[in-house]
Amino acid sequence: MTPEDKVERILQDRLRFSAGATLRRRMLARTLDAQRESQETNPASLKGAARRTIMNSRTAKLASVAALVALATLAISLVPRFTRPAYAIEQTVEALQNVRFLHIIERDDRGLIEDERWIEIGADGFQIRYRQQNPPSVIATHPGAPLMVIEDGDSTAVYREDKRTVILYDRENKQYQWVGRLGVAFENLRQEGTILEENDEYQGRPVHKVWWPYLSAECYVDPETKLPITLGDTELSYEEPSPEIFEIVFPEGYAIVDTRPGAAESLPDWLLEESSADAKASEAFEQATHALANGDYATAVESFTIVTEIQLRRNWAWFWQGSAHCGLGQYDLAVEKFTKVLEIFEGDPCYYCNYARALAYAQLRADEAAEEDLRICLPEMVRALRIPSAGKMFEYANNPLISRGKAKPSDQEVVTHMINRLRIVSGRRFGYDPGASVEANEVAISAWEEWLETDGQIDITLDAELLPEIPGTGDTQ
Amino acid sequence: MLEDEKLKWQFKCGSPQALARIYEKYVDSLLTLAMGLLNDASEAEDVVQDVFVGFARSANGFTLRGNLKAYLTTAVVNRVRDRIRREKRRSTGRVEEPSAVAQSCGPDEQLVFTEDAGRLSEALTELPHEQRETIMLRLKGNMTFKEIAKIQGVSINTVQGRYRYGLQKLRARLNGEVEK
Repeated sequence: MTPEDKVERILQDRLRFSAGATLRRRMLARTLDAQRESQETNPASLKGAARRTIMNSRTAKLASVAALVALATLAISLVPRFTRPAYAIEQTVEALQNVRFLHIIERDDRGLIEDERWIEIGADGFQIRYRQQNPPSVIATHPGAPLMVIEDGDSTAVYREDKRTVILYDRENKQYQWVGRLGVAFENLRQEGTILEENDEYQGRPVHKVWWPYLSAECYVDPETKLPITLGDTELSYEEPSPEIFEIVFPEGYAIVDTRPGAAESLPDWLLEESSADAKASEAFEQATHALANGDYATAVESFTIVTEIQLRRNWAWFWQGSAHCGLGQYDLAVEKFTKVLEIFEGDPCYYCNYARALAYAQLRADEAAEEDLRICLPEMVRALRIPSAGKMFEYANNPLISRGKAKPSDQEVVTHMINRLRIVSGRRFGYDPGASVEANEVAISAWEEWLETDGQIDITLDAELLPEIPGTGDTQ
Repeated sequence: MLEDEKLKWQFKCGSPQALARIYEKYVDSLLTLAMGLLNDASEAEDVVQDVFVGFARSANGFTLRGNLKAYLTTAVVNRVRDRIRREKRRSTGRVEEPSAVAQSCGPDEQLVFTEDAGRLSEALTELPHEQRETIMLRLKGNMTFKEIAKIQGVSINTVQGRYRYGLQKLRARLNGEVEK
């Protein structure tokens, strides 16, 4: 590779800018406004105009009929060739873009619903109305969690069973979401989604199995509708719910607290205390992530402690607190915090946390416990060598600045870092070279896969020779 | 490409969904192009916003037979050239006023990019505009030299020369990084 080729590659890989969520939304809103204004000042629809133009003369009418006959003939002649078209992810993206309602259900091990949501999606891809319902078992284990949340398009109603109160917010001030940016998630599926298995089977149904990087999940796609029917453990369906699903109602015996602009009433003390605690936690979290990124582990521990005292289930606060303890050499405390994260996940995969806890165990010379954790996360780590997006949560865990949009590791960086992690846990190398071509590295990746398949012997080598950091990432392993 | 053909037709028929989809699909690559050409986040945002607003208003007379991405890319290039021309006129005409105090806003309100991208964008500004434009159109607009030659109104040889010299200068600028 010539130096000029390298410059080309650097520019292609690393020169990337994207709009932050609010900016993106604002720009899109202006664009759609411009379209609307333009349509208002030119009310004759183009479809109508085209039709009128075509139908103005007899010759044109005949020509248009001929064109339609030709199109129909072409369509018929194409049918036999494409009776069983191959599945393409683009079809799923397109199908999702036409979806207006989503019904989402998560179940626990016993098949009982533990999270249920309905979403109405607008033409611009943003959420319009929303409802989330948590079963009593979740409320019992998540103090302060609402029994239900309803957004009717103008207001957000939060149903707090513990306080027997419905709190009304202006929707601009409080919004709940399932997936933050649906449009971005769809685009990510189009660009980075991978078909893992075509014509597979799921619970007796024919499906296509697809990897969706943005959501870090495998999904099963219905071959007929092209829509995902499951996403990880989440069931998805697309029926329009009954209208009352998005209607805010006030159960008997519940107090109403209206926080919307113009509401005259004063807020109860408990709500003021909660709001102030949340603000304190947010501020502490912000400070803590920056301290951790700067290597100021003592401050990070202190600030993350403030967060976890207020928000008991804030998994990233617990995780990064564990990372900060590692930085201070307090591996027993790190194990405690990582364990807390895994408890919050309640058996759902959290591979980066298993990996982090394994290293902390290794420092404590608890080799068996370390190996147990590594057995859980190793397949995912090796998988990330071919599907880098599978390793992105490891990157996120490793660098809190990613959550602030201040770092965005490339696929090359994800794979290089993962190779380093594999070197640490196995003491093996297999000759991967970040600067080499995909073909040249194929041998090394296959060797890692074979190692996992056949041997997979764990030999934690904390001083393993690591691949050099790719310049400019400022990342640490 | 088939999706783009469908989007073009839906957009022409006035579909906001199609416009939203086109926006979502191309906004980041257009912002990257604009940043590579201007190295100024707020100018780049304005340019891309102008392009989309102009595009949104063009539905009635929209008769694009070619590639949608190339169309939007060319629109960005033209607007950047306009801005640079305006800027030159302004800077030769009078003493510059102090710039407005930057408003503080959260990361969601801004362009998101890595330190690397910021540095590369800065390195690109040291090239003459023609070379910068050629490199960006080739690498970020995925255009052929022939297409770039058409946009720039010069021969393919000139475009290839601009590209080669531009890369060489960048190589010198990014020397340490490239040699690793």
